[in-house]
Amino acid sequence: MKKTAFTALTMIALLALLVGGCGTPVPTAAPTTPPPPEATTPPEATTPPEPVIGTTYKLGFFSSITGPTSSLGVPERNTAEMIAAQLEEAGGVTGPDGVIHPIEVIIYDDESNPEIAATVASRLIEEDEVDAIVGGSGSGPSLAVVPLMQEAEIPYVSMASSRSIIRNPETAETYKWCFKTPQENFHSGGWQAAYVEGMGWDQVCDIYSNDGYGQDCLAQTTAAMTEKGIEVSYSDSFEPADTEFPQIASVVASGCDALVIGAVPPGAALVTVAAREGAPDLPVVLGHGVCNATMISAAGEAAEGTVFPCGKMMYADGLPDDDPQKELLLKYREDYMAFTGEGPEGLSTFGGHAYDGLLWVVEAMGSLEEGLDVTARRAAIRDYIETNITDWPGTGGVFNVTPEDHLGLTYEALGFVKVENGTWVYFPPEEW
Amino acid sequence: MQNIVRTRSARIGATVAAMVLLVAVVLYLGHAKGFGAIQYVQLVLDGIRGGSIYALIALGFVVVFNVTGIINFAQGGFVMSGAMLAVAFNNLDLPLPPALQLALAVVFGVAGTTVIGALVERLTIFPARHSHTLTLIIITVGVYIFMQGMALLVWGANAYNLPAFSSLALEDQILRSGGIMLKAQSLWIWGTLAVVLVGLYFFFERTILGKALRACAINRRAAELMGINPSRMSLLSFAMAAALGAIGGVVLSPATRPIYDMGLKLGLKGFIAAIMGGMVSSPGAVVGGILLGVLENVAAGVTRAGFKDIFAFVVLILILLFRPQGIIGGGERGVEQ
Amino acid sequence: MQREGWRRHQISIGIGVFAIVIFLLGWLEMAQPMGFEFSDITGGIVTFDTLIRVGLLTTVVVGLNMLMGHAGQISLGQAGFYAIGAYVSAIMTTKAANRGINVLFPGAIGEDWWWPWLMILAGMVITGGIAYLIGRPVLRLKGHYLAMGTLGVGLIIFVLFREGGTFTGAADGVGSVPRLSIGSFEFWPRDRYYFLVWAVALAVMWLSLNIVNSRVGRGLRAIEGSELAAQTMGVDIEKFKLQVFVLSTVYASIAGSLYAHYQTLVNPTPFGFVGSLDLVIMAALGGLASIWGAPFGVAIVYVIKEVLRARLSTLLRGAGGEHEIIIFGVLLVLIMIFMPQGLSYAAGRAFAWLRNPSRREREEPLDRLPEKAT
Repeated sequence: MKKTAFTALTMIALLALLVGGCGTPVPTAAPTTPPPPEATTPPEATTPPEPVIGTTYKLGFFSSITGPTSSLGVPERNTAEMIAAQLEEAGGVTGPDGVIHPIEVIIYDDESNPEIAATVASRLIEEDEVDAIVGGSGSGPSLAVVPLMQEAEIPYVSMASSRSIIRNPETAETYKWCFKTPQENFHSGGWQAAYVEGMGWDQVCDIYSNDGYGQDCLAQTTAAMTEKGIEVSYSDSFEPADTEFPQIASVVASGCDALVIGAVPPGAALVTVAAREGAPDLPVVLGHGVCNATMISAAGEAAEGTVFPCGKMMYADGLPDDDPQKELLLKYREDYMAFTGEGPEGLSTFGGHAYDGLLWVVEAMGSLEEGLDVTARRAAIRDYIETNITDWPGTGGVFNVTPEDHLGLTYEALGFVKVENGTWVYFPPEEW
Repeated sequence: MQNIVRTRSARIGATVAAMVLLVAVVLYLGHAKGFGAIQYVQLVLDGIRGGSIYALIALGFVVVFNVTGIINFAQGGFVMSGAMLAVAFNNLDLPLPPALQLALAVVFGVAGTTVIGALVERLTIFPARHSHTLTLIIITVGVYIFMQGMALLVWGANAYNLPAFSSLALEDQILRSGGIMLKAQSLWIWGTLAVVLVGLYFFFERTILGKALRACAINRRAAELMGINPSRMSLLSFAMAAALGAIGGVVLSPATRPIYDMGLKLGLKGFIAAIMGGMVSSPGAVVGGILLGVLENVAAGVTRAGFKDIFAFVVLILILLFRPQGIIGGGERGVEQ
Repeated sequence: MQREGWRRHQISIGIGVFAIVIFLLGWLEMAQPMGFEFSDITGGIVTFDTLIRVGLLTTVVVGLNMLMGHAGQISLGQAGFYAIGAYVSAIMTTKAANRGINVLFPGAIGEDWWWPWLMILAGMVITGGIAYLIGRPVLRLKGHYLAMGTLGVGLIIFVLFREGGTFTGAADGVGSVPRLSIGSFEFWPRDRYYFLVWAVALAVMWLSLNIVNSRVGRGLRAIEGSELAAQTMGVDIEKFKLQVFVLSTVYASIAGSLYAHYQTLVNPTPFGFVGSLDLVIMAALGGLASIWGAPFGVAIVYVIKEVLRARLSTLLRGAGGEHEIIIFGVLLVLIMIFMPQGLSYAAGRAFAWLRNPSRREREEPLDRLPEKAT
C-alpha cells in the first residue's frame, strides 16, 4: 500500500536526519569527512607572547551515567565535564616546548553494562582515536575493557576498585596499560577487620550486593577478618532492586556480633534500614563504597551510628592543615559544587576518583613534545604515569605508582568515619 | 485433553506431594541455619507484604489482558511513574501540613499515572489496534523503555524517598511483638489491597461500565454487537491498569527507595503473579501475587537470596504444567486441546 | 516441484549476494584502500565492532525468527541458551582446561588449537540436550503461557550462572578466554574474526531458509496457520515444534561461544531478561515471518543505538543514556505501529512500490500471524 511505503520513507528520512543530524551533513553512503588536519607544523617562534597552538589531544571518558551504578557514574561524569570546561577555559595544556595543546574530552555512557563498556571503548580507540582513556565506574565494565586496552596499547585509568583491573588474578602479572585510582576493598576490608577486632567482636555477618563490587567486598573482608581470627559466620547477597530482605532473618538467627555490608547506595541504604528494623541493636559496618550523600539521604536515621572506612573527601575540612591532600580536596569540593550548582550533598569520593585519573592523564599530556603521532603519545602517557606519579597527592590518597603497583595507595589513604547527626565524623582508632 | 497428569485424583496427589516435599525442604534448610518459628513467621509476613504489591500490579495485567489480549509490559512503568510522581509532588515546597501534602501526593501520583495510562492507550495501542497481539506487546515494551528514559531524564538516576504514611517520616513506626516486627506501612499496604479489591468487586458487579468491561472480556465480538465500544473499553482497561500499578507503586514507596528503573523487576513479578493466577482472574492474581511473595521470601531466607527467582520460577513452571488455568480458575486454557 | 527448485535457486542467489556484500565490507576493513575503512562509509558512526556484534546476534535471531515466525512459538528465554554456549566455551577453555580435564586427557589440552572448537561443539550438544529435555513439556504451553515458561527457563539458567560461585565466576564472570585459531592461523585481529562470525551467520541463514522452504517448512507454516488443521493433515506438530526449538537454541549456543571468544570475558549481565527481550525486539523489528529480516532487525537496533550514542553527545551537551533510551523507545513504538510486519517486509513493499508505483496492490491483511491464542 502507498501508506506503508510512505511510512517507510518517512522512517528512513527520520533515520537519515539523525545520522546526519549534527551540523555537518554527512551523507550516509559517501566518504566525505576528510581526516582531521594533523599536527600543524609550528611556525618559527618569533614573538614569544603569541601562543603556538599544537595538536588537539583527545581524552576518552566513560562512566555509568545510567543503570545500577549510576550513583557513582553521575558525579564522575560531572567531574569529567568540569575538567573539560576548565581545560577549555585554559585553552589546553602547555607542553615542555611551549606549544599549547587543546584537550578534547569525549564522554560516553556505559549503562553499567560490561558489553556496552566494551563497545564504547572500541569506539573511543578506533573511531575517536583518543590518546588515553579514563573510565569504568564499576568493576564489571572496567574488567570488560581491560583486554581491549592491552591489545590496543592505550593507557587506561579505571575508577573501579577491583584489583583484577590492574593485575591478572591468575598470573599476578601487572597489566602494562591499565591503572586505577580508587582505594581498594583490600584496604577497606583491613579497616573493617581492625575495627571489629578493636571492638572485641569475634563473629560477623556479611551482606553484599550481587555484582562485581559486592563480590570483591566479601572476598576482601573475609580475607582480612580471617587473618585476625574473626569468623564470617553468615554471608549472602542481595539485589539493589529488592524490596524485602529475608537475609536479615538469617543474620538474626546466626547470632553474629556485627553486620558488614558491602554495597553502594541506594542498595546499601536499603539493607542498612532493613537491618535496623530487624535487628535494632546490631552494629553495622559499611565499606568505602558508601561515601556519598545518597547513603545518608536514603538511609535517614538508620545511617546514624554506622561506621565505615572512607576516603578523606567527605571530611576534608576536619583534616589537620598539614595533611598533603587537604588543599586539593577543598579545591575539588569547591570547584565541583560551583560547576554543578549542587550543595555539599552532591559530593562523593567517586567524582574524586575520576578527578585523580583525569589529572594524571592531563599532567602526562602536558609532558608531551609537539610532533608525536598517536601511538607515540599513548606510549609516552603510559610511561609518564608509571614513572612520574610519585608522592602525588590526589583526592583518593597520596599516590606512588610503580611498575609493579599501578594504583600506588596504602592503607592510610582511607580514614575511618562514623555517621552522626546526618554527617560524617572522623572516627580514628584512638576513639574506638 | 492432553495433559501431563491425566486424572483429577492423580493431579491432586501430585500437588499435595509437591507441597509436602517443598515444606520438608524448607524446614530442613531452615533447620541447618538455626531458624525458629519466629524467623519463619517473619519471613512469611514480609513475603505477604511484598506479595501484596505484586498482587496490585498483577491486577493491572489481568484487566488489560482480559479486555485486549495484550500482555502489557508497560505495567512496570506505571508502577514507577506512580511512585515517582508522588515523590515529586511531596518534595514540592508547599505551605501545607505534611499529612495533607502526602495525601495529595498520593492522589497526584495515582491520578497522573491514570492519565498517562490513557494517553499510552490512545497514542500507541489505538493506532495499532488491528495488529497482531505480539506486535502490540512489543509496542508496550517500547512504551516501557520510553517511560524509563523519561523518568531518568526528569528525575535522574538518584533514589528518592517518600515518608511512611503513619509516621510521616523516613523512619516507619514498627510494631514489635515477641521478636516479630511489623512495619506500619505493611498495614497500609494490606488495607489498600483490601479497599482496591472491594472497589473492583463493586465496579465489575454493580456498575454498567464494569459490566460492559466484563462483557468485553468474555466475548469481544458479542459485546460489540450489543453496542459496547471495544475501543473505549480498551482505553478504560489501560487507565485502570495504570491506576492499579500506580497504587502499588505509591504504597510500596515508603518501604523502598523509588528510582527510575524500579519498574522492570516489579513489572516482571506482577506478570508472574498474574500468570500464576491464571492471567484472567482477579482473585487469582491476588492469590498468585501473595503466593509468589511468600515463596520468594521463604526460599531466599532458607537458601541464598540469589536463588529466590529460581524457586519462584520452578513453582511457576510446575503450576503452568499441572494447572495451566492458574491456581484459581475455571476452564483449561494454556495447554492446547 | 519446479517451483521448489526455483525457490532454492532464489535462496542461493540471495545468500550469495548477501555474502558478497559482507565480504566487501570485510575486505574494505582489512585492505583499507587509501586509508579508507569500514566506519568511514557511515561517517564514523557505525564501528566495525558493531558489525561483528550484529553478525553474532543475527545467528541467534534467525533461530528466534524460525521459532516465532514460522512455528508460532514465542520464546522469552533465548538469552539463557546464548549464555550456555558462552559459558561452556569460556569455562572449558580457561578454568576447566587448566584444572580437571588434563587428568582425563593428558597433554596440553586447552592450549591445542582444536580444543576451543571442540568446546563449541560441546556447547551445542549441551544446549540442544537441555532444550530437548525442557522443550517437551514447555512447548505444550501456548501463547503467553509459553512465553512465561521460556522466560522462566531463561531466567533459571541466568541465575544458575550468576550464583555459580567460583565455577562460573559469579558476577565477575570468566575472563581471559583465548582467541580461536586453526593450526597456527589465528582468527584475530578483528577483521579475521569478522569473517568467521559472518560465515557462521550466513550458513545459519542458508540452512534456515532451506528448512523453511522444505517439506518441514511447509509443516511449520501449517502450524503457524492453524495447529488443528496441520494436525488433521498429518503434520506431527509436537515433533516439528520441538525440532525447531532445539535448532534455535543450538544457533544461540554457537553465537554464545563465538561471543565468548570475541569478548574474552563472559559475565551474566547480557543474558538476563533484558537480553532476551532485546532479542525478541530485534526479531520483531526485522519481521517475524522472514529469515531475511534477522540481520536487518539486529542491525537497526545497533545502528539506532550507535547513531544516538555518536550524535547525541555532540547535539546535546552532557546527554547521557537517557536520551538514547527515550528515542529508542519512541522509534520502537513507531516502527511497530507503522510497520507491524517488520522492516524487511516494509522494505519489500517500498521496493515493489518504487518499481511500479502505479500498480494497485491487493489489500493484504495487516498481519499474517495467527490471532490471539484462545
